[in-house]
Amino acid sequence: MDLFVQLTINGVIAGAIYALIALGFALIFGVTKFFNLAHGAVAVVGGYAAFFFLEHAGLGVLPAAALAVCVAGMVGFALHKTVFLPLRRRQATNLVLLIAALGLLTVIQALIAMFFGSQFHPLSQFAGAQEVYRIAGGAITLVQLIIIISALAVFGLLTLFLKKTKFGKAVKAIGDDEEVAQIVGINTHAIIGYVFFIGSAIAGLGGVLVGFDTGIEPTMGLSLLLKGIIAAIVGGVGSLSGAVLGAFLLGLAENLGIWHISGEWKDAIAFGILIFFLIWRPRGILPR
Amino acid sequence: MNAKEIVWIIIAIVVIGGGWLLLRDTTPADTSPIKIGFIGPLTGDAASIGENARAAVEIAVEEVNAAGGINGRPLEVIYEDGQCNGAVASNAANKLINIDRVPVILGGACSGETSAFAGAAEQSRTVTLSYCSSAPAISQAGDYIFRDYPSDTFQGAFAAKYMTETLGTQNVAILYAKSDWGNGIKDVFRREFEEMGGNVVAEEGYEQTSRDLRSQLTKIKAANPEAVYFLGYTEASIPGLKQAKELGLNVPLFGGDAWDDSKIWTDTGPAGDEAMYSIVYAPLNEEFRIKMKDRVGTNEITICSPQAYDGVKVLSQVMEKVGTDSEAIKNELYNTIYAGGVSGDRIEFDENGDLVGANYIVKKAMNGVAEPVQ
Repeated sequence: MDLFVQLTINGVIAGAIYALIALGFALIFGVTKFFNLAHGAVAVVGGYAAFFFLEHAGLGVLPAAALAVCVAGMVGFALHKTVFLPLRRRQATNLVLLIAALGLLTVIQALIAMFFGSQFHPLSQFAGAQEVYRIAGGAITLVQLIIIISALAVFGLLTLFLKKTKFGKAVKAIGDDEEVAQIVGINTHAIIGYVFFIGSAIAGLGGVLVGFDTGIEPTMGLSLLLKGIIAAIVGGVGSLSGAVLGAFLLGLAENLGIWHISGEWKDAIAFGILIFFLIWRPRGILPR
Repeated sequence: MNAKEIVWIIIAIVVIGGGWLLLRDTTPADTSPIKIGFIGPLTGDAASIGENARAAVEIAVEEVNAAGGINGRPLEVIYEDGQCNGAVASNAANKLINIDRVPVILGGACSGETSAFAGAAEQSRTVTLSYCSSAPAISQAGDYIFRDYPSDTFQGAFAAKYMTETLGTQNVAILYAKSDWGNGIKDVFRREFEEMGGNVVAEEGYEQTSRDLRSQLTKIKAANPEAVYFLGYTEASIPGLKQAKELGLNVPLFGGDAWDDSKIWTDTGPAGDEAMYSIVYAPLNEEFRIKMKDRVGTNEITICSPQAYDGVKVLSQVMEKVGTDSEAIKNELYNTIYAGGVSGDRIEFDENGDLVGANYIVKKAMNGVAEPVQ
């Protein structure tokens, strides 16, 4: 019983991390319709920005995390302005955008490795000793609780924001048809810029929280991104509730799946689920 | 004198003069640098080991060159990053073998690196001397493949003996990185431990790049072991050790030689207290310690740096004797005995190119520092 509880908790924690990456990814995909692989690098930027503010600027945990989230958002916005927007203006195909994003992922990770070194840095050393809570025989740390709450809160706020504001309606309109949205007077480039900022900031929050839970390293972007993308595809690409559902499903399947088989099969389970959905339900659980 | 005679005289002068020039021993001594390759994880997993080893190699090369080089030729090292990854190391080795055409590669560090390019090195007759790869399978990698780091056959057996006899544990769990190193040592340990009457209650592997070992640790905890044999590199071990404590896995954690990285213990802090690991005994010496400190800025001498340093010295000694022909170097290495190194009192290779004999000690972490257990 304890084993089941703990594996479930582990799955929920993993799911919450995937959800933070998948939410931003799905949001950006919803309006641009291309696979922004640089999204993984933006999460790494968030983690390292927090590391910088904590280690070199001597800030407290909360201001450092908040600033790091903003930095990640701004980097995402800057990538849109300097790379994706010019390419999209030139009517670049999604394949070109995908490859440009892959290039950005590699370049950003390499730059981070140059400036900060390629070593692994746990951010938890800045937060002091970790409180461990016991829930029904399972253990969970404060940071892990914060990860789960953040993922759900971000999802709730984002959904509300997109539903209730004019901005949200514009985002939906662009997602439905960018050209028509432009014709009816929506400044699509500006809206997409804001979407990049918000989506990247959420990924940055994911990077920061992963840093506090386990640690950061320049190459962590790709694995985070892959899990985020699997979650988004399983949930239904471009749909926010789908992304969150897919993320938790993935986290739970990975962690409960290795109950009776060896833990080395975790990634195999994740990609197995991806292949299953691609073949039998390519539109995901909750298609947009 | 007619034109014909003049031509004949010119020909005679050229032949005699040319012959004299050729026969006279005027060949200038070859002073071009001898280039050898280096492969190690300069980024990615185990980067701290690779960077530290590189510093040790740089020191050894400076010493060799300060003492006049190899038969008057300076030694030069081409450093390539293997990222502790087979595919990357293989590319690096192909470059060293086919483009730089080095006779010798010092490396790789991770067993996965060395295994990946050993075939190419053997085929191209490039002598490979690994300073860190310990996977047992490398013994059979080929005639040109050597290592001055002991095979894990020794380490796995040592750990099994230490855990049964010194720690008195009968039921252990194994948590290992899925890599040539982790797999190799796990197999030897399991065999030896069970032969001594021990019982392996759980065996959990994880992807080398994974940082979330919670579910593996959860299962291990549920199996109720008296101790855990945890084979991981720095990057996974830091979160792994913390997660073990968070989950309330309060049994002794025993690790492999990759834990001899001070970063693990400073970063895990109290979560790493009481963790133990086995490490090859290296005599070191004060001069080497001081030179390393000057170069890396800390007292850090990670696992394998002494072997990397000695590797350069062994290779220089051999090339001094037989030149830079790779076959001659290979043959000479099998007959070489190098004494007084910083990694061991005596370096000698057996018929598999493996180091003969190995001594291990155990270190225990406390308050962020690992110290030898008396």
